[in-house]
Amino acid sequence: MAKAKDALLDPLFNNNPIALQILGICSALAVTNKLSTALTMTIAVTLVTSCSNAAISAIRNHIPNSIRIIVQMTIIATLVIIIDQMLKAYLYEMSKALSVYVGLIITNCIVMGRAEAFAMKNPVGLSFLDGVGNGLGYGVVLLAVGFVRELFGSGKLFGVTILNTVNDGGWYVTNGLMLLAPSAFFLIGFIIWGLRTWKPELQE
Amino acid sequence: MSNDSIFKTFLVAFLLCVVCSILVCLAAIVRIDKEAYNKQLEIRKTVLIAGGFQQQIDDGGNIDELFTANMELKLVDLATGEYTTAVDAATYDQKEAIDNPELSEKIPADLDLAGIGTRAKYAAVYLEKSGTVILPIRGAGMWGPMYGYIAIANDGSTVKGFTFYQHAETPGLGAEVDNPNWKKQWPNKQLYSKSGRLALKVVKKGAYDPNAADANNTIDGIAGSTVTGSKVNNIIRYWFGENGYAPFLNKLKAKRG
Repeated sequence: MAKAKDALLDPLFNNNPIALQILGICSALAVTNKLSTALTMTIAVTLVTSCSNAAISAIRNHIPNSIRIIVQMTIIATLVIIIDQMLKAYLYEMSKALSVYVGLIITNCIVMGRAEAFAMKNPVGLSFLDGVGNGLGYGVVLLAVGFVRELFGSGKLFGVTILNTVNDGGWYVTNGLMLLAPSAFFLIGFIIWGLRTWKPELQE
Repeated sequence: MSNDSIFKTFLVAFLLCVVCSILVCLAAIVRIDKEAYNKQLEIRKTVLIAGGFQQQIDDGGNIDELFTANMELKLVDLATGEYTTAVDAATYDQKEAIDNPELSEKIPADLDLAGIGTRAKYAAVYLEKSGTVILPIRGAGMWGPMYGYIAIANDGSTVKGFTFYQHAETPGLGAEVDNPNWKKQWPNKQLYSKSGRLALKVVKKGAYDPNAADANNTIDGIAGSTVTGSKVNNIIRYWFGENGYAPFLNKLKAKRG
């Protein structure tokens, strides 16, 4: 039980894939200028990491060592394609906003990293939880960054106006930097700083 | 059997490929069906918004019903400005026609104001009940191509509405072309000046003077999007010049008498 809890909760803060392992930064910059895209991306990545971890763990005793990376890659790619196609079919606007970044989950180091480091050595249930945990760990950072960027960049949260912007006849002058990718670098930097101050044992 | 034997390696690889390809095929089948409909819906929604139906859509109106009740698809031969039935309007795809040498033509570089390179010979325009025509426009934006529709009243000059449905402008700056507060400046502006010269233009933010003689040919720009504004100007200069819709709009005006 303790192991299951660790697998699920450790990646949230103690071993966060973005803030500690510094993986998956590319998409964290690209899809966080709105909370809605950040949330969809979180769900997509969580689905891929959990299902790929479970699938790889289920066949781990039959994977020939010489082709194990290719096998993991094929499973991950299949899941990503399915999710991408479903988004195009049922959430067309969202898939346009996420553009290539859903397809690029294949190259997200978090997914591959968990498959190789965890799913190859652990049972199905535990691997699944580890995948969920890592997806959520990625999502926590994405949502935190998306929250700041959308609020200060467009004065909105999930598309609902919070700060009435000058362009809409209000008072809030939007911060243009927040809408551009570099702002996510600064924000992730602050998150890493905050996390390591809160938990000094994470410092290297 | 050892996992690392050659036979087992091939067997695992083969089975994995079969399972994964079946899954991918199933997903693609679902998507192909839905995506064509989604794309059509997007075009219909854009055409309705450009045609002034934003309110009805916001009120929860069914896009397909509003569209079939109010819009009629026609093809215009851009060279002559006449309606044409040379190809079937229902199956004609203007974006695909651009890649088909029989249905498109290269634009000489000195005339290519919008930076599009090639254009389709026929434009898929929509006719609204009141006589308003909704015309597709496209051109280079700051970061990528912009696609949209502009609605012109049957006097051939009065703008009824304007909207882009695809662009890659900077969020918060150029992408404010999607802001309804900016777009609401467009209705009732005139494309052409009293002397018949193409005059509609987007000026820099703040340069708009509501009392100037050309105020009804001028649209105030968006703060921080000077480049996007000039790209929109280029699109208008191309599409409503002699090589764009001008012949068509002249005939529209003539028919009205």
